[in-house]
Amino acid sequence: MTTALTDTRRPASTGRPAPGGSGLTFPRVVASEWIKLRTLRSTVWTLVVTVALMVGVALLAAWGFTQAAEDGGGSAAGAFATTVGSNVAQMSIAVLGVLIITGEYTTGMVRSTFAAVPTRLPALAAKALVLTATILVVGLVSVALAYLATLPLLAGTGLEIDLGEPESLRILVGTALYLTAVALLAFAFGALIRHSAGALAAVLGLLLVVEPLFGNIPLAFFREVSPYLPSTAGSRVMMPDEFNAALGGEAALGPWQGYGVMLAWVAVVLAIAAVLLRRRDA
Amino acid sequence: MIEARGLTKRYGSKTAVDDVTFTVRPGQVTGFLGPNGAGKSTTMRMVVGLDRPTHGTVTVNGRPYAQHRSPLHEVGALLDAKAVHTGRSALHHLQAMAATHGIGAARVHEVIAMTGLESVARKRVGGFSLGMGQRLGIASALLGDPHTLLLDEPVNGLDPEGVLWVRTLVRHLAAEGRTVFLSSHLMSEMALTADHLVVVGRGRVVADAPVAEIIGRAGAVRVRVRTPQAGRLSQALARGGVEVTSTGPDTLEVSGTSAEEVGEAAAAAGVVLHELTPVARSLEDAYMSLTADEVEYHSTSGPALAPALTERS
Repeated sequence: MTTALTDTRRPASTGRPAPGGSGLTFPRVVASEWIKLRTLRSTVWTLVVTVALMVGVALLAAWGFTQAAEDGGGSAAGAFATTVGSNVAQMSIAVLGVLIITGEYTTGMVRSTFAAVPTRLPALAAKALVLTATILVVGLVSVALAYLATLPLLAGTGLEIDLGEPESLRILVGTALYLTAVALLAFAFGALIRHSAGALAAVLGLLLVVEPLFGNIPLAFFREVSPYLPSTAGSRVMMPDEFNAALGGEAALGPWQGYGVMLAWVAVVLAIAAVLLRRRDA
Repeated sequence: MIEARGLTKRYGSKTAVDDVTFTVRPGQVTGFLGPNGAGKSTTMRMVVGLDRPTHGTVTVNGRPYAQHRSPLHEVGALLDAKAVHTGRSALHHLQAMAATHGIGAARVHEVIAMTGLESVARKRVGGFSLGMGQRLGIASALLGDPHTLLLDEPVNGLDPEGVLWVRTLVRHLAAEGRTVFLSSHLMSEMALTADHLVVVGRGRVVADAPVAEIIGRAGAVRVRVRTPQAGRLSQALARGGVEVTSTGPDTLEVSGTSAEEVGEAAAAAGVVLHELTPVARSLEDAYMSLTADEVEYHSTSGPALAPALTERS
């Protein structure tokens, strides 16, 4: 292999900071994280799977609703049917949220990241920002595609979605918001636990095991706590008011209150992760 | 310029780096030499703020690494050839690193060319050989055209041509006035590459001096003698200041005298010589003697090192 040895410092274009030129800034760290996100095949595939799940399950659900042959349920029920894929799509989203950070630890990439951004927190914040924007967009696109795909199926069933109706719109947009919060929760656990398997077990265990368990144990303590668990609370933002009332009784959290509770969980776990990120050896 | 003052790192009860103080100056290649487990990598990680010292401080160009506004322009570090996501291509890895500092695409392609990675730049790093990984690590380190380079075992896994390339590269970088700090457990490599050595063993600095001085300090010359009459020669040489060690059935090593004197003593005693060779102390010997007590993992068998170990300064 021939290599140009004498060319480490070129007179004109080098990496040295020019006036107003290169140097570490937060927008640049965000740009770097965006490159990292889109240059991993696993990320791209996970996002494709997410969209496919959202649209596929929506089609199934819409078809199921038309077969039930009841008198529809209105626009909100239609919106719910269209977004019910979020139940499975949240799994792929959680995997992505975890791997985006634990992948750096398991491969050693994190040492390169922290060597470039030695104060560390900007790197964590940039990652969170890029993840939030990506999942929000992918979530909205998935919902839009699911809406369009189910239009013909829902037509004439009494489940037609009225986009002008606030509740239906809240369900549609809320689904994208919920998925974003799931991604951030998973990301926060990933930053905290730093091992892919451990963090995945924690997040999926919480979403699939702990929360349903709390919801089903007929003891006062579990019944009291259950509505405030992250996914249970957050998923209210993508449910029709009718469901929320039925689920929560009188003390039910409103859709936005519930979502706020989920974001508070995200903030707490992320804050702990951020504190430890500064302290731990990379 | 890298300045470590009283740098200490403990992991639980184990002390990896123990009160280490040294200065790495610009314009020369400073070797960081020590056996495996001596604390070299830990020290280097502390320099760039990846590990937090238990005690002590380390600064780069007068400031802790994390306080620099453009860290990649200050220090280029090859800390671990595997500090790259295996699922990303070399080009994308470098682009992502460059993006944090707004370093342009031209420089990315420049370092790829410099390290000879053009043909594999678009391949995923997971499939790279150790040598390719090292080249990518060096490319990352050079991205910001830094004043200071920190290279942890850069020749590990390189073929002879790659080793020569690294040697020439670091000498060239130092000649440009940069600070080059290079770790290795291979003393032979250091003898060829470094101007100055910081030798560590079990987390402590055991020597900090120019390479020539470290070789010289370990004693100048020994004489190897092969004779069928080893016993008689030993007696003939027996006088103050001369140390005779038997290293084989008919081989002696003599220190404290010269080859000429050994030859004359042999002639006077009527001893037949099959070989009379002055042996210059190599850096390897010097290193062995410096770190003899500091090696963490002694091998139980193997050649006896005792003769070289007696004169630790």
